[in-house]
Amino acid sequence: MTNEPPVPYPHPGGPLTGYRVLDFADEKGQLCARVLGELGADVIKVEPRGGDPTREYGPFFRDEEGPLTSLYWWAMNAGKRSITCELRLEGGRDLVRQLVASSDIVVETCAPGTAAERGLDYESLSAANPGVVVVSVTPFGQTGPYAHYRATDIVGSAMGGHMHLNGDEENGPVRTTVPQAYAQANFQAAVGAVVAIYARGVNDGVGQHVDVSMQEAMSNAMDHAQQTWDIRGINSRGPGIYRERAGERVGRYLYEAADGWVTALANGGMSNPKGNAIIDWLEEHGAARDLANDNWRLKLTSVEPLTDEERAYVEETLELFCRQHPKDWLVREAQARGGGWAPVYSPREIVECDQLRERDYWVSVHHEDLGESFIYPGAPFSLSGTPWKQRGRAPHIGEHNEQVYGELAALSDAELKRLKMKMVV
Amino acid sequence: MGDYKKPFEGLRVADFSWVGVGPTVAKYLADHGAEVIRIESTTYPEALRRVGPFVDDTPGMDNSGYFANFNSSKLGCSINFKHPEGPQLARDLVAKCDVVTESYTPGTMARFGLSYEELSEGRDDLVMVSMPLYGQTGPWAQYAGFGHILQAASGYNHLTGWPDGQPIGTGIAYTDFLVPHIGAIALVAALDYRRRTGKGQYIDFSQFEAAVQGLWTGVLEWTANGREMERMGNRDPDAAPHGCYECRDGRWLVLACFTEDEWTSLKAAMGRPDWCDLERMRRKWQRLNEQKEIDRHLSNWVWDMTRKPEDPEETEVEGAEGVRIRKYTSIEMMERLQSFGVPAGVVQTPEDMQRDPQMQHRGHYWKLQHPVMGLRTYDSPAFLLSKTPAELTKAAPLLGEDNEYVFNELLGMDQERFVELLAAGAFE
Repeated sequence: MTNEPPVPYPHPGGPLTGYRVLDFADEKGQLCARVLGELGADVIKVEPRGGDPTREYGPFFRDEEGPLTSLYWWAMNAGKRSITCELRLEGGRDLVRQLVASSDIVVETCAPGTAAERGLDYESLSAANPGVVVVSVTPFGQTGPYAHYRATDIVGSAMGGHMHLNGDEENGPVRTTVPQAYAQANFQAAVGAVVAIYARGVNDGVGQHVDVSMQEAMSNAMDHAQQTWDIRGINSRGPGIYRERAGERVGRYLYEAADGWVTALANGGMSNPKGNAIIDWLEEHGAARDLANDNWRLKLTSVEPLTDEERAYVEETLELFCRQHPKDWLVREAQARGGGWAPVYSPREIVECDQLRERDYWVSVHHEDLGESFIYPGAPFSLSGTPWKQRGRAPHIGEHNEQVYGELAALSDAELKRLKMKMVV
Repeated sequence: MGDYKKPFEGLRVADFSWVGVGPTVAKYLADHGAEVIRIESTTYPEALRRVGPFVDDTPGMDNSGYFANFNSSKLGCSINFKHPEGPQLARDLVAKCDVVTESYTPGTMARFGLSYEELSEGRDDLVMVSMPLYGQTGPWAQYAGFGHILQAASGYNHLTGWPDGQPIGTGIAYTDFLVPHIGAIALVAALDYRRRTGKGQYIDFSQFEAAVQGLWTGVLEWTANGREMERMGNRDPDAAPHGCYECRDGRWLVLACFTEDEWTSLKAAMGRPDWCDLERMRRKWQRLNEQKEIDRHLSNWVWDMTRKPEDPEETEVEGAEGVRIRKYTSIEMMERLQSFGVPAGVVQTPEDMQRDPQMQHRGHYWKLQHPVMGLRTYDSPAFLLSKTPAELTKAAPLLGEDNEYVFNELLGMDQERFVELLAAGAFE
């Protein structure tokens, strides 16, 4: 074997170390597979010969389009190995069968009914390895009236009900710009994968099919709107800068600060038995207006329901106060007085914030091919015995062909060369 | 499914967690066969029991739909930690359990002698996960809040809303519905490691740190390109057309064209109006610059093509006798666009979700009979396992519903002692 690839870094101490994952997925499943790798599994991304289509997804590093510069690709495929394999050819499907024989999890996102064409249907895969867990992530699931429908993130957000809860009265529903139907489908698929792996361990090694629906994943993010419909017959909807509870508007939660925005619960913490501390704070800064009166204090701290006029007065008071001060100061001071406040942060501010810095959250990922390192999000959880680990940059196209095929399919260099000639690899 | 064991059958979980995140993580275990015991207190009740929707709009500890949804398939017991015997009862219970879940402010469990170090003394197989907002350490560790404001700190407000408008956020406690899945991945992976090696461990889970993982390419756009991603309303940096358009029946239709094929399909579905054959609409990079105009055309088209459900399907075109034109409801529009190969959907209300034929086909909403609340709707996992499917075995527990089972049967407490502790308020 020549030129051992520099990535992924080994991860012998993860909770999923020892498992192998074959990743045939697009944006609905690549993040799922990545997370399994960060927990120790050996994740092999299988790409068509010319490279995976998702390598063409923006944004691009320095806006230069190319198979190695997609930030999407970096983010979702970091720490995986990459092989190429042409699934449209019988020779390619043969190779997959060999790889599946020594794999534990397959993640695929073919449109329902089309997986068989590529040899990725559960029947073919489980015939090659009865222990394999096949995770299929599709917009609406494998069967049912909408199973054949096409969906991108916004369709998942809309059909999953989540988007109805976003937005405001003037402009209607809005999608979150970073795709949450995809994110939700990926994370919930990974839960399904680990539950099925656990189930295999207690069921004599028998694998199963995990059929994930993006619509359903999004529907799990409807807060209590479904129960509000069921119990009260009210359709909750996007409340904009306000909060809604059980279908009723309960108050404003978003305020403009001198340098951005802050969010605050329960009238900044005044509508709380301990609310006097917040009222005192406003008073110190000459901003409490009438709220410092005994009547108002009693009304707020006993958490009596406010009339619309009273609520407007309280919210206006907070609005005037917040505008005078920077957001980090507001949050720090409010929290010191028991108020549930948080700043509205942009990605830059998140990267710079002291909480994440002090917990050593960020990881620097070296891209030796570019001669640079970049900051990536770090451990989403910290396990004391079997830690999460970032395993290096995303792979180049087929970067691990020799390594993987040599190791797993026992292909000699000559055989690999022959498959390359036949355009399988 | 007969022959297969439920994945977590035989595992017992002491679920000290509260509100949204922790209970949802433990619900995954409960719905897949674990015996999950919620540990609560009547003196310091779980916050969500006091938040609606309440059946008949009557507030009551055992009447909240919000609480119920996160706690299917679980048992319930009550312990008063502030009673001198309370913490010991909790420790005795943990001794009978395999897993501990909790989501209190850091330090709370330790204050009652329930830290991982204390609970795992003399055993190395205990798995425990703590899931507060910001993790166990750091300057924000003691900060108060819920998912509704954590979405702000973790970027979702910044990235939800209209360009130049307020960062309105998702309208819900969004991170409460994102990070539990990430927590569950860690917990189940740790359980699988325990299954293979017999070893337990402690998981310090920060909701904030998990939430940042959902920002897709937002972090790298800043750290690699030095560019701040901004909220774009219903547009997408990689697709045009891409948007949400009001229909005459009061619903909203979404559609997206990422590929040229999808754009060709949309043109066909629209009957190729002149504007879409303009040179500046030819390629995606061009269309990305023309989104204002595209949105104007599509808004008009969608409005013109749709009808209220009670209106006739076909109407006569004014001034052209005998020419009839077909109009569609929003759902029919979606079906029509899909039949042309355009990714399209309807913004579904909670009511629509209940009636959605696909959701019904998947059996997503379980109806469970609750002694106080009656037959109520519960969410279930987004995945169907072919051999060991999730089963929501019962409605949420009443507060302290299973005290006798937990204290008498599980802990082997005799009746005299139970009554003594009951009278002394140890279960309040």
